[in-house]
Amino acid sequence: MNGSFSTRMLRTIAAWVVVAIFFFPIYYWTSVAFKHGNDIFNRPPKLFAFTPTFDNFQKVFGISLGSGGITVTPGGGNFYMAPRVWDSIVIATLSTVLAVAIATLAAYALSRMNFRGRHSFVGWVLSTRMMPPVAVAVPMFFIYKNFGLIDTYTGMVLIHALMNLPLAVLLMKSFFDDIPSEIDESAIVDGASRFMIFRRIVLPMAKGGIAATAVLCFIFSWTEFLFALTLTTTSLKTVPVVSSTFVTSIGTAWGNMAALGAASIIPAFIFILLVQKHLVRGLTMGSLKQ
Amino acid sequence: MRVAQARRFVISDHPLPWLLPLVAILLVFTVYPLIYNIWLSFHEFVPRRRALEFVGTENWVQLWNDTRFWQSLVITFTYFAIALVFELVLGMAIALLLDSDGFGFGFLRGVLTMTLVIPPAIVGMMYLLMEDPQFGVISYLLQSIGLLNPNNPILATASTALAGVLVAEIWQWTPFMVLIFLAGLRALPPEPYEAAMIDGASSFQIFRRITLPMMSKVIAIAVLVRGIDLFRVFDYVFVMTSGGPGASTYSLSLYAWQQTFSFVKWGYGATLSLVTLVIILVIANLFIRIAKVKW
Repeated sequence: MNGSFSTRMLRTIAAWVVVAIFFFPIYYWTSVAFKHGNDIFNRPPKLFAFTPTFDNFQKVFGISLGSGGITVTPGGGNFYMAPRVWDSIVIATLSTVLAVAIATLAAYALSRMNFRGRHSFVGWVLSTRMMPPVAVAVPMFFIYKNFGLIDTYTGMVLIHALMNLPLAVLLMKSFFDDIPSEIDESAIVDGASRFMIFRRIVLPMAKGGIAATAVLCFIFSWTEFLFALTLTTTSLKTVPVVSSTFVTSIGTAWGNMAALGAASIIPAFIFILLVQKHLVRGLTMGSLKQ
Repeated sequence: MRVAQARRFVISDHPLPWLLPLVAILLVFTVYPLIYNIWLSFHEFVPRRRALEFVGTENWVQLWNDTRFWQSLVITFTYFAIALVFELVLGMAIALLLDSDGFGFGFLRGVLTMTLVIPPAIVGMMYLLMEDPQFGVISYLLQSIGLLNPNNPILATASTALAGVLVAEIWQWTPFMVLIFLAGLRALPPEPYEAAMIDGASSFQIFRRITLPMMSKVIAIAVLVRGIDLFRVFDYVFVMTSGGPGASTYSLSLYAWQQTFSFVKWGYGATLSLVTLVIILVIANLFIRIAKVKW
């Protein structure tokens, strides 16, 4: 749209103001992470004028950023959360690998092979995405208890992989659909097996799509709450779940919680910027192409 | 010979080996829980015997007569409708605003992406702090312009608690709509717009008659994907209000979860989560039919 200079100017200003309103909570939250306790509990709220501190980060991650450079002081303190961050990373990474591996195999078949019931199969996969987590978590809690899977990486990885499978299958199918099937057909004529075509030709061509799928799976596992809350108790916890443990009987450790929250946004945000090209396709499970 | 046969099957055109891992995990983790839930809904945990007992249709009768359940159903639908309308309207407005190749617009779109990667539980905590009656920045702002009585904390007053939760929800997911709508807007063909310009149509007419109809598929998909999640809302209400004050923010998912894990009503919790599942499946599939969404 080409308007006059003043309408363009107005539009630019409006756009910056709107985005600033959306960015404000993130700024405020991050600022809390750098505040001393009395600055957090000030009224009116201090937005810019406060003395920054690394105390919250030091307590939560066990890293001291003193004058002698960075030293790590592990353990100690109720709010030492480095192991919980590690739990989150392990669960998100392994569940992503599992979901993407299973999904690429299935998506290839759904994209390339004609078989009876293919359409309803896709519909079934989509409908599993509609299951409310609570309807899965309740039975899974009892099953996990019987098999000793509560508080284990195995249990969390499996359930997060499951949660991401519908998205991953539909998304990978849409990426495979983009690759012309003539390539497969000519390779078959040359005597290649289906699996060889999949591994040597189609997979390398769908690299970008696999990366986008993996990033989204990682983020959804990283941010997932209900399963992690239900299927872990003490020895294993993810970042979203521990965020509610900062609420104690003597008050809430907002500064420490904000430090954990602010730090947890950064890796996910970097990942998502890397695959921004495919983001909308991912968010709509492959149905909208950019 | 057998090995060769098996090998040929594995590398063949048959879809079964490709789909087997997916089918196995989906059966174990969705079909089995479904059957287990149905079975559980006809049983109840009896604390004094520490065992599950068959109770027939008792849970279903209880569900029908449970005012809390009907209340949570109304709350879930209210939450769903208000959030969806706000996210759609705001999302479309902001998408139209950001649909420009001007300097800095790409950066602004990138910044909006940020809200999507924050765990909803942490967003809930963020807004819990910002809506704190004493030192919360939103409360302070509303109080100082006289819109909020300092004696009525947002999240601890029955009439405002749901709005307090919805603010977090709408803040986090409006950018989701913006990004989807932007992608849709950018893919629209320029010809109809040129024709409309020549005919002297107003920008509102252009939006009503050209943009909206051409965006209908995009809007339908956004409604479907977001709507499914909205109906299962749990994270925000769990960390911000735990359903309170009273029962003013009890969503179906939260009610089902609490029945199972806080009140040890396993059978009734399963009944509630089954109902949630059925409602979502029916509404979503109806919507897919009516709006002709295709995958």
